[in-house]
Amino acid sequence: MAKILVIAEHRDGKLSDGTLELCKAAKTIASAMGCEPAAACFGKDDSIAKEVAKYIPTVFCVADAALEKYTSDGYAQAAKAVIDSQDVKGVLIAQSYDGVDFAAKVAMAMGAGIVSNCNKVAVEGGAPVFTRNTYNGKIQEQKKVKTDKFVATFEKGAYEMEAAGGAGAVTAVSASISNVRTKVKEVIATMAGAVDISQAKIIVSGGRGLKDGDKYKDVIIPLAKKLGGEYGASRPVVDSGWTEAARQVGQSGKTVTPDLYMAIGISGAIQHVAGMKGSKCIVAINKDPEAPIFNIAAYGIVADLFEVVPQLMENL
Amino acid sequence: MKIVVCLKQVPDMESNFKIIDGKSIDESQVAFKINDFDNYAVEAALQLKEKNGGEVIIVSAGPDRAAKDIRQAFAMGADWGIQINDPAVQAGDNFVVAQCLQKAIQGIGGVDLVLTGVQAEDDQAAVTGVMLAELLGMPHCTNVVKLDISGANMTVNRELEGGLNEVLEMSAPAVLSIQSGINEPRYPTLPGIMKAKKKQLDAKKASDLGASTDSKTEFVKMFFPVSDKKAEIIKGDPATAAKALIDKLKNEAKVI
Ligand SMILES: Cc1cc2nc3c(=O)[nH]c(=O)nc-3n(C[C@H](O)[C@H](O)[C@H](O)COP(=O)(O)OP(=O)(O)OC[C@H]3O[C@@H](n4cnc5c(N)ncnc54)[C@H](O)[C@@H]3O)c2cc1C
Ligand SMILES: Nc1ncnc2c1ncn2[C@@H]1O[C@H](COP(=O)(O)O)[C@@H](O)[C@H]1O
Repeated sequence: MAKILVIAEHRDGKLSDGTLELCKAAKTIASAMGCEPAAACFGKDDSIAKEVAKYIPTVFCVADAALEKYTSDGYAQAAKAVIDSQDVKGVLIAQSYDGVDFAAKVAMAMGAGIVSNCNKVAVEGGAPVFTRNTYNGKIQEQKKVKTDKFVATFEKGAYEMEAAGGAGAVTAVSASISNVRTKVKEVIATMAGAVDISQAKIIVSGGRGLKDGDKYKDVIIPLAKKLGGEYGASRPVVDSGWTEAARQVGQSGKTVTPDLYMAIGISGAIQHVAGMKGSKCIVAINKDPEAPIFNIAAYGIVADLFEVVPQLMENL
Repeated sequence: MKIVVCLKQVPDMESNFKIIDGKSIDESQVAFKINDFDNYAVEAALQLKEKNGGEVIIVSAGPDRAAKDIRQAFAMGADWGIQINDPAVQAGDNFVVAQCLQKAIQGIGGVDLVLTGVQAEDDQAAVTGVMLAELLGMPHCTNVVKLDISGANMTVNRELEGGLNEVLEMSAPAVLSIQSGINEPRYPTLPGIMKAKKKQLDAKKASDLGASTDSKTEFVKMFFPVSDKKAEIIKGDPATAAKALIDKLKNEAKVI
């Protein structure tokens, strides 16, 4: 039977949450398409492949010293070896940093169409129809592939994580990994800083809507202080140097789950939302009624933040 | 160094979007600008040129309106450019665009480095750079947040989740997708804007480049997201709304 193949992602011996979400996705999509779910796992040995087998019935493992660390060349070659040796209909990859780095390479090697950053799949007439965010989350679109096989990458959280429990079979697949053109030297932490906003009960975050660093400091910090909380930021605020990197919330920043998260002049891009959607109560203040942040907030005010925030200060 | 920057013109995401027949956005309502991530790529290229000499070439696939933003990159300091202005490419997917970029870059010849943004703000695909690397037969690195080059040897930092960076070594020629925050993009100066008007911008069609326009994916439809968790919008003038919000946070959500 044709397979829907998850490519497992791991770092320092730990499987990513995204991989468990893909195992759930593979089972759902495979059953709708009359296929079977499987996974591929690459590493220096089969220890992680055995871990993956708790979540999916069939795991193909490529074990090679050259696969000890992730590289796009290594992963693309290993994936190709598995795909060539099996009847693979579709490949599922996480829209993570590693996933983005090699998914399109796998699609090219297969000659298949790729639909990236998906959040949903419907199977219509036997073929998958993918739903994905566009225009910074303001518009969604549906896409299909024209090729017989497909590659799709999925946003974090698109599917629930599969629970462990099974005892799948691990099958070795041989591949010759050669000509790896990038060499990993080390992994370093770049967000070291004295502040740890992840413990705060209240976080007031400002975004690009604050316009400049002085306004960010004048508007966001006093409100955070008055509420007895911490102040945070979206990525552009940190990129522009208005505050320190340790205060960035999102996929490439901190994950926070305070009781109250106020997003002020923040549009609600998926990469920001990834870091704060678990907050108990989300408040959004934005002049654009269509800003995607309003789709996840409990309360919203559609107005100029420079008019609203002083009023909040006055009433606190 | 000969550096190509792939630049896409995109709508300003603060625009009030209207969808026509579930197929396209109403462009008459929208202002266009350089894709934010590509702006960082242009700046990275200009800094490399300032250090090592050479030229910065902009390659962009887009309709007539895109010329404005290619010239914006000229005004920042890029030397010349190629605009792939072809309705068939416009209707194509990332694969079609990647093939056109590949052929244009091969046509330039002797390119040491190709820079893209990490993703286009409009299609949010984050695939074009990797496809292009594959088509050019070059190594690549995505989400580059730091870049050191000496001769053909490069040390690049690739951003990872949660504030980590992977430090990699690779050699040119290569394709790098540049992440925001790597530098501070400059603003064009007045003399820069004057010079930009005279810089060379070649127009090409897919057929001139010998690129196919056959997509591997197909667009079905577009629509506004429907959320079952849409926020309760608090109405009224700023003073009234602010008062009501604080009341709700205190007495309803009980979080302050
Ligand atoms: C791989 C990757 C990782 C990323 N990681 C992160 C991350 O960790 N964290 C993160 O935040 N982003 C991250 N991003 C960037 C993300 O895609 C968005 O670009 C970013 O979140 C946008 O920040 P913003 O909402 O502040 O700015 P914008 O999207 O520009 O939004 C500004 C908002 O302010 C509103 N506004 C403007 N003026 C006013 C006013 N006067 N009053 C009220 N509202 C106003 C506008 O309507 C708009 O909605 C990442 C991107 C990539 C590709
Ligand atoms: N039409 C285009 N013209 C030139 N470069 C493009 C085009 N589309 C995408 N790119 C480049 O590829 C990057 C990633 O785009 P995407 O894969 O569409 O998210 C962008 O940041 C650009 O550098």
